[in-house]
Amino acid sequence: MLNTEDFYHVWRIDQTSSLLREEIKEYCHTNIEMCLECGKCSGGCSNAHIFDITPRKIIQLIKIGEEAKLLKMDALWSCVACQLCVDRCPSSINIPRIMDYLREKAYKQNIPSTRPNVELFHELMLGNIKKFGRVPEALLSVEFNIKSKQYTKDAEMGMKMFFKGKLNPIPARVKDIQMVRRMFRNIPAQREG
Amino acid sequence: MNNSVKTALIIGGGMAGMEAASKIGSAGYNAILLEKEDHLGGIMKQLYGSFPRWDNPQELVGQKVKIVEENPNVTVKINTTVKSVQKKDESFLVELSSNEQVEIDAVVLATGFGFFDTSEYGEYGHGSFDNVYTALEFEGKLKEMESWDKKDLPQVVAFFKCVGSRDRSKGYPYCSKICCMFTAKEAGLMKDINPDAKCFVFYMDYRAAGKEYEEFVRSVIEDKHVRYVRGRPAKVLPENGKLMIRAEDTLMGVPVEVAADMIVLANAMIPSEATKELAQLFGAKTDQYGFIDYIPGHPTQTGDRVFFAGGCGFPVESLGAQYQGAAAAADVIALLNQD
Repeated sequence: MLNTEDFYHVWRIDQTSSLLREEIKEYCHTNIEMCLECGKCSGGCSNAHIFDITPRKIIQLIKIGEEAKLLKMDALWSCVACQLCVDRCPSSINIPRIMDYLREKAYKQNIPSTRPNVELFHELMLGNIKKFGRVPEALLSVEFNIKSKQYTKDAEMGMKMFFKGKLNPIPARVKDIQMVRRMFRNIPAQREG
Repeated sequence: MNNSVKTALIIGGGMAGMEAASKIGSAGYNAILLEKEDHLGGIMKQLYGSFPRWDNPQELVGQKVKIVEENPNVTVKINTTVKSVQKKDESFLVELSSNEQVEIDAVVLATGFGFFDTSEYGEYGHGSFDNVYTALEFEGKLKEMESWDKKDLPQVVAFFKCVGSRDRSKGYPYCSKICCMFTAKEAGLMKDINPDAKCFVFYMDYRAAGKEYEEFVRSVIEDKHVRYVRGRPAKVLPENGKLMIRAEDTLMGVPVEVAADMIVLANAMIPSEATKELAQLFGAKTDQYGFIDYIPGHPTQTGDRVFFAGGCGFPVESLGAQYQGAAAAADVIALLNQD
């Protein structure tokens, strides 16, 4: 989480580019130099009211190369990847992809998320995909709620859905699960995922 | 010069004046083109590059000078200014600095603009610190840099926009219109000369209203990698042989600093002294700042038989100056045709 103190200093700008910007160009196929600084992303963002750094400012921080600040900001974990920003951006800057990239980066560097149980959910979900090739909602929510010690969280809703036939307790698998496993093997070994 | 036809006097041999003179000459009237310097070309002649097409300004000026000089009806008088003016019924009796007297039927003022005195902006250190230049000085510097050793070239160059423009406290609340474009151009040219240089442009907003202008500025940002920092610099202080710039990044709301080797000030364009004097001599209308003003409904006319074009009316880019020169010429030709 960023604190006001994180902004209490004179920011030295000595580069016209930053390593982070180059990485984003390469991995997110997005050139943030194209940003017009218009703020349409922040204006339309469905969660901007709970962001510590709004999307436009995220782009600005990338320009300045303030990677440390970006990786510990709360917005990384309150962004729901609704894609409104990229949909409305006049320069088609793919902010959700950038957020994804930053989240992965924070995860790999063991920087804790500012919201509870994010890593747990991430690991369980990927584990399920690896096992079944898709996400079985019933199993995932039971697993997640037990491991996060929220035993009764979705019980009522889950029962209702079960009796209406909306929730299948037996996980379905994709036809070619070997293909999914091969995909996972081909991804270089990193911290789970 | 043909004594039986009417004569127009064009004052100022920049792009606007040359355009007006050549058009009036081509229409068969006599055109006398006055230039106070020893060569034609005005500001354009002092430039290293042009926008929005990166054309060589020397070539553009050269072409225009050739057109003017080849026109048999145009008489160019360099090193010449106006001494006094006497209005007769439908003409002016003008005494030139060469003590020559000419009788003219119409006049086109094309005296161009002047520049804001940067000493009013002491916080930027122009004149007291080394390596702080005005935009026009920097054009000459760019020319010099062509032959410099790579190690001598500046590594970090900062450009300040709105130096004087949009400053009520200094009496210039208006936008000088072309600084956004020539600053982008100069930053881009700096990157061409030294691709390793880091160029920062401090801006409040960039105003690129014109054909190909927005694309031009974007190409400077995206292809030449000039970094635009939003905020008006507050001060410059020398520090360890560098010029430390303090400003706010208004997009982040944080104070920022940049250590630069060279600073270029886009100082405001103001009415030149010559414009003010001539406006009085010919009875031209002027606005609150001293720029030549137009008569409502007559965009190139400012008084009885007095027309104007180019930067003496308001800062304008070279292409716009030529448009205005041609428009003023059309009005002069129409008037002389009626006489």
